[in-house]
Amino acid sequence: MINTFVNAITSNTFQSIVQNTDACVKIETGLKAVGRPAFTLMDKHTDKETRKYAAVKEFIYQVLCFGIYIAVIPPIFKKGGFKLAQKIFKKEGLPAFKNAKQMLAYHDLAHMTPEERLRPDQKIQKLRDLITDDLVNPKDNNTKLIDYLLGPDKKGGLHKKTLEKQGKMFELAKGSIELSSIIGSVVGLTILAPEISHLILHPIMNALHLKGEPKEAKSPEEKTQILDKNA
Amino acid sequence: MTIKSFAYDNLKKLCLSLGKHNDALYAVLAIAMFKGIMRPTFTMMDKESDKDTKKYAAFREGLTEAIAFCSYIATHKLILPQGVRLAKYVNKNRPKELPNVSVRKVQNGLSLLSVCLTAGIIIPAVCNVVLKPVMDGVAKVMNKNKKDKTQKLDIKENVVQNVTVPTVYSPKLSENSKKLLAMVKTPVVANSSMKVGG
Repeated sequence: MINTFVNAITSNTFQSIVQNTDACVKIETGLKAVGRPAFTLMDKHTDKETRKYAAVKEFIYQVLCFGIYIAVIPPIFKKGGFKLAQKIFKKEGLPAFKNAKQMLAYHDLAHMTPEERLRPDQKIQKLRDLITDDLVNPKDNNTKLIDYLLGPDKKGGLHKKTLEKQGKMFELAKGSIELSSIIGSVVGLTILAPEISHLILHPIMNALHLKGEPKEAKSPEEKTQILDKNA
Repeated sequence: MTIKSFAYDNLKKLCLSLGKHNDALYAVLAIAMFKGIMRPTFTMMDKESDKDTKKYAAFREGLTEAIAFCSYIATHKLILPQGVRLAKYVNKNRPKELPNVSVRKVQNGLSLLSVCLTAGIIIPAVCNVVLKPVMDGVAKVMNKNKKDKTQKLDIKENVVQNVTVPTVYSPKLSENSKKLLAMVKTPVVANSSMKVGG
């Protein structure tokens, strides 16, 4: 049992999810969409109708956040962040990868053992397919990179020890993608999502015939519910 | 060292460290921290609501995000050390042919699981328990302050002593009308710890 659990959390797939900000935020938002409405429904301080209203509103809000996140972060921040990093770190010898996806394929392969890189696995094959493309500048060290990863001279290839010396450019590019994803997540979930959901949430709630806000609130806690629509 | 080179060096260091090891915790902590700052700020900027309501709402939003921030750190600190024990236990019982499990990898995996556990269960549970009593206390304090202010402003001179209250006659409602009225009534989301977003 424990062995299976440890094998699962140390598997390559799980490890690449952990290292990927984008995937982590998606998982977190998805869990919020399930967990928060569930706990709202369990709250015994309020009546059934109110709980139902708040749970549906919370669920729709989190689903909207998830949608906005998917629509905004990868195309703008992930791709844009990588291109910006290519410009900023030009001096660092970052190869002219076509896009972040190609760079990440190199990065993932670089972190495998030479034997793993050549394994006839569908996922690994996809990564290998990506690196057969030419880089933006063909005179760049594309051939050198392919040799590092898949070349016959495995001893000189890009694995653990050489990665520390020669692989800094991979770490730098990967780090810049993660940093721009973190910035994108913050912008998307703290500024864009509340503003956009404010416009969409109430028409949806009205369409579902769910109305639960007091029209004339007197105490601060009652009035807060009106402010909550800005959430 | 110029500001430009200082910024460049630090950005490079940050990118290198994120590239080498990116923890699931970093993104969620950044989101919780900025939500804790931005949402109360937006609430306080709302010109439609009165000052007390804005203060109350901003405090509640800030508190929710503070709970989230602290919960993420606390769960991470509690769960991560178990990775060392887990790796030791698994490596002890592992067949010699198989390579040892790395402690770093186990801790990375546990880090994502701790974030999931906190986001899905711990934060909503803690908010359900903590938010209502705290906010009730805040509301009481705010109401007390408001009363104190109005009492100070009360002018006792020339107060009209006998105010005649007009009698209001409530109409007699038929059973059907009562049912209709009950259908129209909507649930009031008030005085509860439930909130949207965060």
